[in-house]
Amino acid sequence: MAAGVAAWLPFARAAAIGWMPVASAPMPLAPREKRRTQDGFIIINVSGTKFQTWRSTLERYPDTLLGSTEKDFFFNEEINEYFFDRDPDIFRHILNFYRTGKLHYPRHECISAYDEELSFFGIIPEIIGDCCYEEYKDRRRENAERIQDDADDENNKEGVMPDMTLRQSMWRAFENPHTSTLALVFYYVTGFFIAVSVIANVVETVPCRASPGMIKDLPCGERYALAFFCLDTACVMIFTVEYLLRLIAAPSRYRFVRSVMSIIDVVAIMPYYIGLVMTDNEDVSGAFVTLRVFRVFRIFKFSRHSQGLRILGYTLKSCASELGFLLFSLTMAIIIFATVMFYAEKGSTASKFTSIPAAFWYTIVTMTTLGYGDMVPKTIVGKIVGSVCSLSGVLVIALPVPVIVSNFSRIYHQNQRADKRRAQKKARLARIRVAKSGSANAYMQSKHNGLLTDSPEQASKEAGQAFLSKTNLSFEKEHHHLLHCLEKTTNHEFVDEETYEKNCMEVSSVNPPGSRCSSISSQHGLTSTCCSRRNKKTFRLPNSNMSGSHAGSLQELSTIQIRERPLISNSRSSLNAKMEDTVQRNSEHPYVTSAIISIRTPPVTSREGNNTSDSPDYSQRNIVKVSAL
Amino acid sequence: MNLEGLEMIAVLVVLGLFVKVLEQFGLFEPIGVEDSTEDDFELSTVCYRPEGLDKLQEQTKFTKKELQVLYRGFKNECPSGVVNEETFKLIYSQFFPQGDSSTYAHFLFEAFDTDKNGSISFEDFVMGLSIILRGTINDRLNWAFNLYDLNKDGCITKEEMMAIMKSIYDMMGKCTSPCMQDDTHREHVESFFQKMDRNSDGVVTIEEFIESCQKDENIMRSMQLFDNVI
Repeated sequence: MAAGVAAWLPFARAAAIGWMPVASAPMPLAPREKRRTQDGFIIINVSGTKFQTWRSTLERYPDTLLGSTEKDFFFNEEINEYFFDRDPDIFRHILNFYRTGKLHYPRHECISAYDEELSFFGIIPEIIGDCCYEEYKDRRRENAERIQDDADDENNKEGVMPDMTLRQSMWRAFENPHTSTLALVFYYVTGFFIAVSVIANVVETVPCRASPGMIKDLPCGERYALAFFCLDTACVMIFTVEYLLRLIAAPSRYRFVRSVMSIIDVVAIMPYYIGLVMTDNEDVSGAFVTLRVFRVFRIFKFSRHSQGLRILGYTLKSCASELGFLLFSLTMAIIIFATVMFYAEKGSTASKFTSIPAAFWYTIVTMTTLGYGDMVPKTIVGKIVGSVCSLSGVLVIALPVPVIVSNFSRIYHQNQRADKRRAQKKARLARIRVAKSGSANAYMQSKHNGLLTDSPEQASKEAGQAFLSKTNLSFEKEHHHLLHCLEKTTNHEFVDEETYEKNCMEVSSVNPPGSRCSSISSQHGLTSTCCSRRNKKTFRLPNSNMSGSHAGSLQELSTIQIRERPLISNSRSSLNAKMEDTVQRNSEHPYVTSAIISIRTPPVTSREGNNTSDSPDYSQRNIVKVSAL
Repeated sequence: MNLEGLEMIAVLVVLGLFVKVLEQFGLFEPIGVEDSTEDDFELSTVCYRPEGLDKLQEQTKFTKKELQVLYRGFKNECPSGVVNEETFKLIYSQFFPQGDSSTYAHFLFEAFDTDKNGSISFEDFVMGLSIILRGTINDRLNWAFNLYDLNKDGCITKEEMMAIMKSIYDMMGKCTSPCMQDDTHREHVESFFQKMDRNSDGVVTIEEFIESCQKDENIMRSMQLFDNVI
């Protein structure tokens, strides 16, 4: 319920005059509110900046520090004001929340300072208005990432955990080569061999001078076949050993096998082994040659060594949808233009556009503005279509590219920031250590000199927990009285959803006049949800109140139960499975009034969570009233 | 393809481009005006100021302090100074989150808006409240009758009462105990007419209404509830 419209409550209660003449039950008594002396000013002094507002403004949200009696701890008699030693700029927003009911987040403020102020004043951040919520969440997430990064660094860089198994240390060596010299050596060796292997693959195909006695040039691979074979064997051996070591050291072997890098490793060394296994069979040698193509995948192994490559790969993965869209739109355009081109050039003689798929090649070459010139349109129509095709190609390709670029740039900069932070961290920590040791030394010094003084801790916030605040209930009382009047007018009560469902199902199986109200348990449920929801910032002890009323209500209910037992034995047993107490109401008249009422807290309040929920108070007052008309 | 047909198409394309170029230069207004949104802005910034505090104090039975409190609350929720029906329904619905209070709010709006100009100003608001909260019992009963009499013809018919009753029951919402039947409000209307309609002519006039209410203890007592709302 928005306490922001608290000012309109008198109007709502006055409007209830429309129910009075048609009500079939007498109205409940109005709550006796003690006549407050005039709604006075309250002056709040925040580090020297004075804020002034009405008392009733602050009392709109009794769950917060300012709205409850907790602020009495900050009352200063000398200046007759409430003094808070906090940031006045942020306090401005907090006070505006009381005034307008909306909490805003100022963009220029540091997110952690803001969060601290909010928690000090007992306001949950979830009620930030829609206008500022996105920004707040984004900043929060960035902050959390930063903290997470720092925490991860702590775990990684510091402490070599003494009780790490060999397997764990091996894995760490593989993932972070900078941790030990051996890992570094291994890292460089594998890098070298990857390069050697790739170069060997490339050089293999270069035509060498023909050996004496041969006419035509041979590729080097065939001339020095043995040398290349030995080189290949060495490289593959190293790669295999590396792969096996990684497999052993991996904390989760299944996950490792499924990861991209491991698949690349496997694909890179597979052709060699397949070649070993296969004999000189003419049929399969063709396929074998094709398999050698996969050796080029060894170059992807470099991505373990280069961060830029990894970022590129990650970017492409994260822009998968944009790339997909690009591909899709290109395909559409290609098909359209190829079709038009084909039909345009159908008439001309000796046209190269023999079919639509043949025209695909022309379209792609034109759209990407390559223009090889192997296929050219000859008719006027063809030329027009060709020009439109090249223009549109530029557009279609240019559109998704900036998205990919900005993604790449963002990820790249993030990585740069992380690296910079890590580099600066050492210096920062060193400086902090120096300062700390300096103060510790000073402390030792003063102790020696006997000039020690102790400063007492400030613990004002903790002490205020157990206070019941009665002063802010008048609004709730009046609102409940209003709802109660409505119930009396219509002779129905408010119940929560589960009870309603149950009742309706029961009613359908039993004769109409008999219906149950099984609201004790729902009331219980409600209290628990209410309490758990407001557990963090509550200043009242609803449990004590609840149990008192609970006991009282149980008493009376049991008497009713005894009287009505014979009527509803069958359905009662079904309900017993779920809850302990069911109430049987005196069901002589279709319009029977309440036993216990419970109101479902509407979902809207979860966003404005600082307002007290209606139900605990309401049920408190209407314990048991069984009256048949 | 036919060369002539294509020339036609080419000509059409060129014409279309020509029109676009003219549009760019602003020499050619396209059909379809999009300025209607600007008019709306002007309407919503109209501000309305109520009459002076002294005058209102004479016309109503509230004290100065009470009027101040009322106005502050009113202005907080409606900074423009008048309430239109949408805002009214929205405010009222916040007090009855479980049901649908829009119909009843509509009837209330009609009752408060005495000069029938589609919006409630602070004067209308405060006049209505003055009658309900500070008027005599008869005044209040009169006001209630005015609320029920939807077409303001001096008598309440069964249809009008049905509408009012349905709107009240709508406010309860779905989850009630006992379950809300479809004709619950109809029975209620029947009993109401039985009580109020003395001469059983199917309508309730103002005299019948006031007479029946005065005879009913419950109603009299409930009317006194409004004495200390503010």
